[in-house]
Amino acid sequence: MEQRILLGNEAIGRGLVESGCTLIASYPGTPASEILESAVVFAKESRAKIHTEWSVNEKIAYEVALGHSYTGKRSAVAMKQVGLNVAADPFMRSAYLGVKGGLVVIVADDPGPHSSQTEQDSRYFAQFARIPVFDPSDPAEAKVMIERALDLSETYELPVMVRPTTRVCHARQNVQCRAPQEIYRKAEFKKNPGRWVATPQFLTTLHRELNDKVDIIGSLKNFLPFLTKGKGALAEYCIVSSGVAYANTYEILDELGFLGKVDFFKVDLPYPLNRDFIQKVNTEYKKILVFEETYPVIEMQFANQSICGRISKDVPDYGELTPEIIESILRKFLPAPVPEKQEAKEIKGVRPSLCPGCPHRASFYAIRQTFPKGIFPSDIGCYTLGMNFGAVDTCHCMGACISQGAGLYHAYAADGPDYPTIVVTIGDSTFFHAGIPALVNAVFTKARFILVILDNSTTAMTGNQPTPQVGIMADGCAGNTVFIPDLVKASGVKFLRQADPYDLPVFKNLLAEADRFCRKDDGGVAVIIAKHPCIMNGQARKQQVVYRIQVNEECNGCKVCLKRFECPSLVFDENKKKVFIDQNSCIGCGVCPSVCPAGAITAEKMEVET
Amino acid sequence: MVNNYDVKSILLAGVGGQGTLRASDIMCIVMMEAGLDVKKSEVHGMAQRGGCVTSHVRYGSKVYSPLAKLGGIDLLVAFEKMEALRYMNYLTKDATIILNADEIYPPSVNFGDIPYPDDIIPLLRINYKQVKEIDATDLAKKSGNVKAANVVLLGAISNLMNIPSSIWEEVIKKSFPEKLVKINLAAFQKGRDA
Repeated sequence: MEQRILLGNEAIGRGLVESGCTLIASYPGTPASEILESAVVFAKESRAKIHTEWSVNEKIAYEVALGHSYTGKRSAVAMKQVGLNVAADPFMRSAYLGVKGGLVVIVADDPGPHSSQTEQDSRYFAQFARIPVFDPSDPAEAKVMIERALDLSETYELPVMVRPTTRVCHARQNVQCRAPQEIYRKAEFKKNPGRWVATPQFLTTLHRELNDKVDIIGSLKNFLPFLTKGKGALAEYCIVSSGVAYANTYEILDELGFLGKVDFFKVDLPYPLNRDFIQKVNTEYKKILVFEETYPVIEMQFANQSICGRISKDVPDYGELTPEIIESILRKFLPAPVPEKQEAKEIKGVRPSLCPGCPHRASFYAIRQTFPKGIFPSDIGCYTLGMNFGAVDTCHCMGACISQGAGLYHAYAADGPDYPTIVVTIGDSTFFHAGIPALVNAVFTKARFILVILDNSTTAMTGNQPTPQVGIMADGCAGNTVFIPDLVKASGVKFLRQADPYDLPVFKNLLAEADRFCRKDDGGVAVIIAKHPCIMNGQARKQQVVYRIQVNEECNGCKVCLKRFECPSLVFDENKKKVFIDQNSCIGCGVCPSVCPAGAITAEKMEVET
Repeated sequence: MVNNYDVKSILLAGVGGQGTLRASDIMCIVMMEAGLDVKKSEVHGMAQRGGCVTSHVRYGSKVYSPLAKLGGIDLLVAFEKMEALRYMNYLTKDATIILNADEIYPPSVNFGDIPYPDDIIPLLRINYKQVKEIDATDLAKKSGNVKAANVVLLGAISNLMNIPSSIWEEVIKKSFPEKLVKINLAAFQKGRDA
């Protein structure tokens, strides 16, 4: 068998290809984005025929995978934890109706959180739906669990979840790889209205059958937690853990000299927790400690009030279980020596910032300058960083900005005609994901605000995945392009303009014009598409005019460019009390000259390098 | 139970665009080729937009956690000089520090709110015996491409590890397109000699 260094998400992608999945659907979101991308690479490498797609959102991805599974073929869907909120509707019902071909649901959690709007635990969601869930502790194990999950899914005709966390998704490790399993199955959808249509009269039976399946899975010997036996005086003690918390606990126990001295269990399948195991732990041990991320899913299934865990708050009831947190808890729980007091130093973080030349910077600057008293609902993506410019006031969940904008408008408009201008910003990918129904709703209900669609022709934050408007599918082939202006027009919007935000004066005028439209008697939602490709797109960058930016003697050190425009390439020289350009990071976008009140920043068009 | 706590931890810290993750990827493959178990953690997404890019690399006969704990890093490699200061509380008392002499200003320095510290090395030397500064950016320029500074630093790191340089060179050869191999091998050697 070949060994490779793989990212956790690559190991999962590899696992999907190796275990004969023929459809993988996903929507990008940290920490899950690389799963589909790597599956595309491994499928090409091994010439496996797999339909891979970036669906427009997670609900759709889930339903595509579900339909594929109905024909008896193996399917997978991958998303980040909050994506499962979007896919909750099909997810919940799929437990009752079940599947035919194996369906693995990969949901990447983000304890911490590092890159998410919540640190919710998807294992809890699996328990809510009554769907079994695996909890891998490292990349190699995640790959093995993909195969185990598909086998379990097919045996019991149930979707099965694999729940990695950020520290599995974005860890790299040496992983054993084998050739993909070739499963030839012809698509065969067997009609069964009592199951696939399942009107309420069938659901009592389906619910009972689901419960029976879960009971059986909860009694399977092959999901008995793995025990690292303790030989010694600590017979009353045991530690139960799963996921990365297991890996961290293993090392800390080893370091403290307790590995092999206390019974230490590793849970692979946190739900349904093996019933014999629950019985054993509750009867054989008096001191029980549970480490899991992030909610007390295992702990609750013990239904044992004396357990030390997240409910008892012996383990913090929020946050990631880093090695140092585990160490401090273990030292209290076990008869371990008290350590030397370590000084906890605060590490000062750096504020995230948009890249030099980012077109969003120009859009946000223009919005803030045009409407200093405006209200600015926004959404999820790189552009959330518009908060640095005072041009993003809300960020909730995918697509929420448009409806929140409508709600804000209705509140202010009820108080009188002098309502503040509301400028909603949403990215192109987010607009496809959840913005379209919200726009239809806002137009229909007579809301009045400006919607700026920040169209950089990509899903930038998660690593530049293409959108339906880019027209390129996950495997690199051309799809049928869907245009944002067509969707906006079809939603009933009467004011639609498109401009490049790099041209600040034009863009500001357009914003003012849109505001006038909103306030007209027959006005409504005004849409401006701020169109400029992401500067991380190498192809587009090559076609962009490049300017040599310099600061002349007119600079009076007022710092307006630094504070309001916040480009990392603008640097203040403490000695000269003037700004200079960091030529290494400046991409020469040419926007900042129109920001300087003193006219001290100059732009000179450069010859294009060939 | 065999105590297998022979695991060593390295922290690579840099800012975006310095090739920090690339360097740690190469390091992982080298360790695998040398027959070691290896795990690494990295940051993506919003966490990556901050400009700070860090990566923990852990290796030994068997590694469980991808994360080193506070006070558990044996070697800190700062791809940008000031970045070394951010992670002091991650170091063991006997840790080795390698820094690139390069200075890249964070926003607070850009804005003129605070100056860039000019006493980084003396500050580090108070607490740590092994502090080595390398002008990796300059050595990379001399090798033919300023972007190879990350590989210069790998050269310096390789001196501290008991892995034959032939393994490093083989992995570097496979990690870059053909036209960049020569430059990167030269950069690696300059880092070893520095």
